[in-house]
Amino acid sequence: MRVCRLSICSAALLGAQAMFAGDIEIKDPWVRAVPPSSSATAAFMVIINKGDKPATLVDSTSPIAREVKPMITTKQDNGMMGMEFADSFQVAAGKKRILEPGADHIMLMKLKSVPQAGTTVPLALTFESAGKRQEIRINAPVR
Amino acid sequence: MPPYAERNIKLLVAALILCLAVAGAAIFILIHSRPAKAPYFGQYDANAPAAYDFQLTDQNSAPWHMKDQRGNVVLVSFGFTRCPNICPTTLANLAAIYRLLPPEAQARVKVIFISLDERDSPGALKNYVPFFNDHFIGLTGTPAEISTVACAYGTSYRKAPAVSGDKNDYLIDHSTYTTLIDPEGKSRLLYRFEQMTGSPRIANDILRVLGMPPLPAPAP
Repeated sequence: MRVCRLSICSAALLGAQAMFAGDIEIKDPWVRAVPPSSSATAAFMVIINKGDKPATLVDSTSPIAREVKPMITTKQDNGMMGMEFADSFQVAAGKKRILEPGADHIMLMKLKSVPQAGTTVPLALTFESAGKRQEIRINAPVR
Repeated sequence: MPPYAERNIKLLVAALILCLAVAGAAIFILIHSRPAKAPYFGQYDANAPAAYDFQLTDQNSAPWHMKDQRGNVVLVSFGFTRCPNICPTTLANLAAIYRLLPPEAQARVKVIFISLDERDSPGALKNYVPFFNDHFIGLTGTPAEISTVACAYGTSYRKAPAVSGDKNDYLIDHSTYTTLIDPEGKSRLLYRFEQMTGSPRIANDILRVLGMPPLPAPAP
């Protein structure tokens, strides 16, 4: 039922994507393969904003996780690292934002199924730029 | 030719031969002298202190003693099994390094992951650590034991705010160093998180500490 609703929602948003296609490009997405007992994993990618307005990642969903949230990694002088939720990821006009291991990432939490290496994870990322929304759907390889 | 001219030519020839000999000797020495050893990739401590000796419980609920590891290299990192980003990155990179090592070195390299999370049972570690490599060892203990070991290895950690409404659903901020204990039981090398990639340079550090030859250079 949930999957069904998701696909209808995505289909509706796919229409919107066509309107603003080209401003946001997602490069080299991947999801970390984690042990089968894991409750969370992380997605990494490069977000490229080709537009002339800043863009903000305002929503992320995936059918494999109940919660999908942007996280920033914090680091202190003593090497202690932690993570904090970010409400959104902003990407300046004409710039890129790199999500990579040990740094900013999109965290997939409360996994419904733990992704296995060699498969792909669907992700729907909604960006907002100059008041307009654009959804990008990607399949991120698991490795 | 006057005799003084002949003498001058002889002197000139002698000077030339001397010059060539000196230059040749210098080149010979340059080529054949042992080059200064390249520095280690990790942060090397020439006066490394003895690593803190401890006993914790492994993922099979068996006791694990640091002092039993003399003759081995031990790579120590801290984390928790619910860690979605840092710990899997470190363990995946350690697994990549381990795969680079020849079997005789692998037999003498112990990778241990010490849980900072009181929620991690030996069973939780068994589900987690061997996923990265069957030979890796997950260790747990009482909160007091873990606190002592973490402190001895310079690891700070603290509970971060819960990530959802469930107060048990928290993450742990923690230091992200990997320490290399040499076969004499000394804390010889330290790797920052950013350094702890799957690099052959780390594999070569390990081989060097073990007194083994480095990895063959990659084909051009």
